[in-house]
Amino acid sequence: MAGPYEGIRVVDTTGLAGAYATRLFAGLGAEVIRLEPPQGSPLRTLAPFAESIAPPENSLWWSYLGMGTRSVVIDPDDRDSLAKILSDADVVFEDRLPEHSPITAEFLSGETIRTTIVPFGLTGPKRSWKTSNLVAWAASGVLYTTGFQDKPPIAPAGHVQLALHASAASALVGTLLALRSKRKSGRGQEVEVSMHEAALAIAPETGVPIFLDDRVHRERSGNRRDLGRPFGLYPCSDGFVSIIVLMPRHWAAMAQWVAETTDNETIVEEVFQDLAVRMETKELIDTWVEELTLNHTRLELFTEGQRRGIPITPVNTVNALVDDPHLKAAEYWSQTELADSSAVTVPGAPFRTNNDWWNMTPAPLLGQHTDFYLG
Amino acid sequence: MSESTNDLPLEGIRVFELGIAIASPFCGKLMAHFGADVIKIESRVSPDVVRMLGSAWVREREDLAAVAPDTSPYVPEMNASKRSVGLELKTDAGRDAALRLIAECDVFLANFGARALTDLGLDYESVAAVNPKIIYVQLPGFGSDPEMPYYSFVAWGPNQAPLVGLDDFTGHASDPPAGIATVAPPDYMSALHAAIATLSGLEHRELTGEGVHVDISQFETTLALLGPFVMDYDLTGTVHSRIGNHSLWGAPQGVYPCLGHERWVAITATDTQSWEILSSLIGTVGEEFADPDLRMDQREALDEQIAAWTSNFDAHDLAHRLQTLGVAAHVVATNEDILHDTHTMSRDWYQVAPHTRLGRDVFSGCAVKLSDTPGQWANAGPSMGEHTREVLKDVLGMSDDEISDLVTANGAFEQAEPETRVPRPWNDWIHLLVPGVDDARDL
Repeated sequence: MAGPYEGIRVVDTTGLAGAYATRLFAGLGAEVIRLEPPQGSPLRTLAPFAESIAPPENSLWWSYLGMGTRSVVIDPDDRDSLAKILSDADVVFEDRLPEHSPITAEFLSGETIRTTIVPFGLTGPKRSWKTSNLVAWAASGVLYTTGFQDKPPIAPAGHVQLALHASAASALVGTLLALRSKRKSGRGQEVEVSMHEAALAIAPETGVPIFLDDRVHRERSGNRRDLGRPFGLYPCSDGFVSIIVLMPRHWAAMAQWVAETTDNETIVEEVFQDLAVRMETKELIDTWVEELTLNHTRLELFTEGQRRGIPITPVNTVNALVDDPHLKAAEYWSQTELADSSAVTVPGAPFRTNNDWWNMTPAPLLGQHTDFYLG
Repeated sequence: MSESTNDLPLEGIRVFELGIAIASPFCGKLMAHFGADVIKIESRVSPDVVRMLGSAWVREREDLAAVAPDTSPYVPEMNASKRSVGLELKTDAGRDAALRLIAECDVFLANFGARALTDLGLDYESVAAVNPKIIYVQLPGFGSDPEMPYYSFVAWGPNQAPLVGLDDFTGHASDPPAGIATVAPPDYMSALHAAIATLSGLEHRELTGEGVHVDISQFETTLALLGPFVMDYDLTGTVHSRIGNHSLWGAPQGVYPCLGHERWVAITATDTQSWEILSSLIGTVGEEFADPDLRMDQREALDEQIAAWTSNFDAHDLAHRLQTLGVAAHVVATNEDILHDTHTMSRDWYQVAPHTRLGRDVFSGCAVKLSDTPGQWANAGPSMGEHTREVLKDVLGMSDDEISDLVTANGAFEQAEPETRVPRPWNDWIHLLVPGVDDARDL
């Protein structure tokens, strides 16, 4: 069958704050209409761009996050068209405070679900504050604890825009819950996501309950942590690997591996089985581990380490992921078409089911569906 | 004016949860908040890692060793509003009770490894055999297909972010990857996708009457966030990597020093309007930065000028001033800053609910807010095995004697030392720390 939300009409007026949500929604069957102003969605201005294609069809963010959706251009002052497109909407996604939204109450029936994603929520002293991915991480406590001690704090995977995607995914959860409520009550309702809280929600480690409990002022510690050894990122011949050794059996396997490959007879001595001893001698342990890692590639260390039962993974780069043997064998990668009909690799469905839910068309051209809905 | 139509959206849905740490439990907490009866199945032989963490003040209290698993602040963070049932699934009796329970559930949610679930006889086929209408949602690291190369590999917690490319994107271009040390975004993104998949599965069942098997390979799920970078690599061979706190979309954006030790402000002023406000405040920015392309090209030099200016100010004051004028900015908050943040507290982000062991406890609320059917918190996380007898009785109709026999046979266990109640040392001050909470003396 098609996705379970086939027949649900969604109108999306958001930019990056909601785009991942409506992309997923479309993949699960919903009819997603993106309302664009005449100059196009702000997503269309975001680099990287496809060099062979002219604006406003060249943004790869648009080509990716717009997949599965339809484009309807409406002038912001054209209230008749807005009323027409909203009259059959089951769900509306917005990223503005109500007083700044062109969608006023008379446009929506009591059956419409109105999902609003805003920087700091609809209430509270910071309700009118602006945000960005960086600012959301700053407010969540995560930014302060990430990075090297001799450099400023650093956002986790900054240009991936994780905080915004977490907000969007949370907004879709709320929307699907509201649709389920509507099954019982017949009524729509308002779904609110504060991007600040979406980031706080996924960072309890830097939140208040943990702080009240242990009173530890969490600081950034670079790419290794003093919770164990080896623990963190280690250089290898073509990049880095991540090794997390906490459990005694993991240390035993790790020490054995280092001993076998580097003729290091000391590392397997019983004294190092004690985590406290390994922490006291952490520079030495790190040096010994690097004598192993520096002579091998990420993929060699990953497969051999995992075979030995050690929690080790590659620090993957984009090219390594596209070439990854598991993802290839699992046929994860998919393809989409850009505006000039050229094919390009994209991530496939984010999860798999024993039903064929997931279906994605290429991102629409600016105004491609205007006539269909308003003509 | 509560009407029966304001039932919570998941009222009447029962979830069998086999969760460890974050990915399944965080999804289960969301569902419990919105009305599902989430039954967390726990083991004493191989406990959930959050049970092993304990609490800082309990660590020196040998007399509290038996109840320590109920005291970690991570328990409510991941498990508030659930019921805990102690079942040892590696025993025949425990597994038999589990299968009978599964027959009465709507959702099966697990982030055990795929091979571990198969070894327990709780793979999709076995579960669907006792409950064909089940929404079976599993979150193995690398998918549930045993033919795939990494099927048996293990990746958890701090290893996930590097695996899916997030660590390589984190740090300054001239440095090694900084790593995402303290948080685990892939776990939470997988949990949110699991919630979306579960709700989609319930909708599917409404429409078709059929159950569904959802396989969330955590490797694949988080990669779905890297779309534009994968596309650019395919088109041009460009390998995007870390760029500090800069933006691909304009300058300036960064983290700048302020007055005091380790005080910083994060500022995004990449659009023209924000830049004009910021530059007029600074006053001394050179003409060379008037053009947005030049700001991008010379963003390092621009950062130096901004940093020289920000270092004259208190971080909180500066963020407030910038936001008042319309520029996105925030103090780079420490955990202590969050404790004192009036905005966070005004929205009741931190919640307090009853806890059978601690009396009450504090935990993070839910980022999803619904106006007509707002979620509820029934408890601040269950004690281990607290609801074993209640659930086996109510859901399976077992008698007290049958339950006691199951416990004696080590197929199940109940709450340890139910009479031991230990409030947290700061329990009396909760009303000062978390506004909106009753003074303990009034309870």
